[in-house]
Amino acid sequence: MDSEDVNKDVVHPEVRAHINSLVSALGGFSIEDDGKYTLGDDALEVLRDLKRWIRFYDEKTNRMDVARCLAEANLVGGDLLQIIALWQGNGTDSRFKSRIALACYEVMVPLTWPIEKDKERMTVNHHRHIPVLEVAQLGYKRAIINFDGAPILHTAVRVALPSLAMPIGERTARDQGIIKLMLFFLRNIAMIAPPPGMKYEGDEALISRSATIDAFSYQDIFLTLLTIASNMGEDFRTEDVTVMEVIFHLVKRVDVKKLFLEEEQLKKAKSNELAAAMQKEAAMLASFNKTAPKRHNRFGTMIWVKREGGKMTSLSGQDALIDAATRERKMDKSKSFRPPKRSAKEEMEPKDLGPPVSLTHSANKQLRGFVEEFLDSGFNPLFQHVRKSIDREAPHVLNYHRGQFFYLVAWFLEAERMRRRAKKGKKPAEPSQDDVSSFNLVAGVLNQEMFITLNRWLDRAYNDKDWKELTSVMRCYTEILLTVQEMTESGNEEDEEIADNILSRLFYEESTHDAIANIVRTYKDQGFEYLDACTELTHTYLRILEAYSKQNVDLQVRSRKRTRRKKRAAKAAAEGEVEDQIPLDDDESANDEANAEKTSKERKFDFKKFAARFTTQGAVDTFVAFTKFYQDLDDSQLKRAHRYFYRVCFKHEMSVMLFRVDIIHHLYNMIKGPEPLDKNSPMFKEWEELVKQIIRKCVKKLEERPALITELLFSKINSTAHYLEYGYEKQTISSH
Amino acid sequence: ARRKEASGLGIDEEVEVKKRAYVPRVKLDETRLLSKAGIPTLKQRAKQLRLKGKGHEWSDASRLLSLYQLWLDDLFPKAKFLDALAMVEKAGHKTGVVKARLEWIDEGKPKTASMF
Repeated sequence: MDSEDVNKDVVHPEVRAHINSLVSALGGFSIEDDGKYTLGDDALEVLRDLKRWIRFYDEKTNRMDVARCLAEANLVGGDLLQIIALWQGNGTDSRFKSRIALACYEVMVPLTWPIEKDKERMTVNHHRHIPVLEVAQLGYKRAIINFDGAPILHTAVRVALPSLAMPIGERTARDQGIIKLMLFFLRNIAMIAPPPGMKYEGDEALISRSATIDAFSYQDIFLTLLTIASNMGEDFRTEDVTVMEVIFHLVKRVDVKKLFLEEEQLKKAKSNELAAAMQKEAAMLASFNKTAPKRHNRFGTMIWVKREGGKMTSLSGQDALIDAATRERKMDKSKSFRPPKRSAKEEMEPKDLGPPVSLTHSANKQLRGFVEEFLDSGFNPLFQHVRKSIDREAPHVLNYHRGQFFYLVAWFLEAERMRRRAKKGKKPAEPSQDDVSSFNLVAGVLNQEMFITLNRWLDRAYNDKDWKELTSVMRCYTEILLTVQEMTESGNEEDEEIADNILSRLFYEESTHDAIANIVRTYKDQGFEYLDACTELTHTYLRILEAYSKQNVDLQVRSRKRTRRKKRAAKAAAEGEVEDQIPLDDDESANDEANAEKTSKERKFDFKKFAARFTTQGAVDTFVAFTKFYQDLDDSQLKRAHRYFYRVCFKHEMSVMLFRVDIIHHLYNMIKGPEPLDKNSPMFKEWEELVKQIIRKCVKKLEERPALITELLFSKINSTAHYLEYGYEKQTISSH
Repeated sequence: ARRKEASGLGIDEEVEVKKRAYVPRVKLDETRLLSKAGIPTLKQRAKQLRLKGKGHEWSDASRLLSLYQLWLDDLFPKAKFLDALAMVEKAGHKTGVVKARLEWIDEGKPKTASMF
């Protein structure tokens, strides 16, 4: 086929011609010299030209034509990698070759750069080229990490080594640029993955996370990352977020629990998983079989159901004979009407992070080694530095870095907890000084500054409706709480004291309580990830705060109240008479308007009152929405929901909140419905008992208060809920 | 003024566009809910509901659910049970229904202190 005659090329023919001639001028495999790659005469200039083409044609005019041509000319696999392979050892002309190698990376970095699909900046060209380029990038990644001729990743570090070795003060802008280039290259390679929904046609094992981790470990990239991370703040400053990004793309969606299992345990865990999945499937089939027809499908059973007022309903099919519940279900099923506003289909899989990762054994081991060393040396310096960068809103910090930061902090805290657990399991009798330092390793994210940052972004992400970021902030919060809780139980006096301090500070601010209660009350269509994170945070927060307030009966919190300035002025005049209202910040003169409107006062913490905020209808609805996924929840998630409902119904006496027909229907179906919870699952018994108790309470309440028969249909109003629960009106003395 | 001269093909004649009146969609809203077939029927049927209490939780629950399901099927046959429940819940926030709800609750209250 003569491609030049067919004028259907998607890029301008002249551009293609230019690029092709450049690529062929770069060099080629020689015929004489055993088929070795030979550089063209002006290779360096050609590489510069290519760079210029990318910069001034693609980027300036916002097209992707050059990238497309380069992908089709097989520049990366056919030329660049071969050229880099030439730079081995210390030849005499190594200076020239290192410059050429650098030029190669300078071309590869934009080619592997993540393609952003920002709808507002996308042109026709983008839509035309992106699908091809995404596949091409996967090809680049495969070529780079599986290249036999030379360790490409390692060479990238070698290129940057002279600049890395220099003290920070002596680095020129060019040196900084080279370090950045190297880190971005690593980031791009770690990041490239098949886009969601695309089926990769090649061998997926060559570009999987396991392959990436293997390559990173084999080519000593982990060591580089560790070195840079542990020297963050001293020899490196603005590189913090890029290092963090590399680590993020390596560990995202890796299951921490599996990471710290030994080989035997891992095998066992995997086979258990398989067994559990098969059992689940068997249970599912069994539940289908219960209502499956016993005879062929033209058997033609037909029955009449007699109903109120002499009405009849006809039903066909043998399953109509089973029982009343099945008949009613069948009647319901045959209806085709859907309410006009259909909510978007709820999906469990998060899309932004990609599917969960399963690692091969060797990758697991290597990643574990890296994670342990990172925790030991790099965690505090890196994350403290990133936090500072985020706080001062440094120009090199991008929006998505915050989410990654919180995600990683949560991930590594969980990893640290798992490591402690694994260690404890291994040698039970050794509470040596090794254990003492363990919490120090993550102390960098347990200080007051971190909490301020967390609270700030919790608020801001909520107000900006940035659910993805809010999810990672909530996860981070949960992990911190769990770590602190583990500290209180460590048995080490010093740790316990620190943990106590942290907790008292954490629970001192009432605004945090409000924020968390607010989040869980106002869930609506944010997706499963968000739901999971907010229910987990609620669960952990309530539990820890409850334990803490039991221990410290005279817990004080700082609550903020809005009062008018006038009122305050009047109060200041009548000073001395009102003791408890005196604001904390007494310097009147320095206060600005906003400050003047708010006064803070301390008051005694009342756990009951606090927990009441989590038993509102909104919070209950959120947890119900969470339980709707019961078929896919694991044991800890089921337990979380179970404890919550138990709390609502029996601890805080707000069972009426659960008495709504759809909730009862859902709970009933979870146990006795056509697709019940797996009977062999360890949580089934507990759930069965809980649902039974709830129904019993509901029936009892129905007898006590017949009005409930109508109220069962609606969400409860606060004023009537109290009456329905207790049978008398709430004393409404406003304690303001 | 309509041109009536017969120009043969009738192209010049104005075409009358009649607005067809659609039958308004039936909704499960507050009026339907408060009508005779709505809550009053539910209350009547609830009187015949016999729940057995302790030890019979599952059968009680299924009887309770079927009471609501059959009632909703009579009231608003076209919607599925859970959809209809959501509609009823939504209607429950309307002022009229809220007022009625308060009244229903008051019916059950012991009438002592408030009546002087």
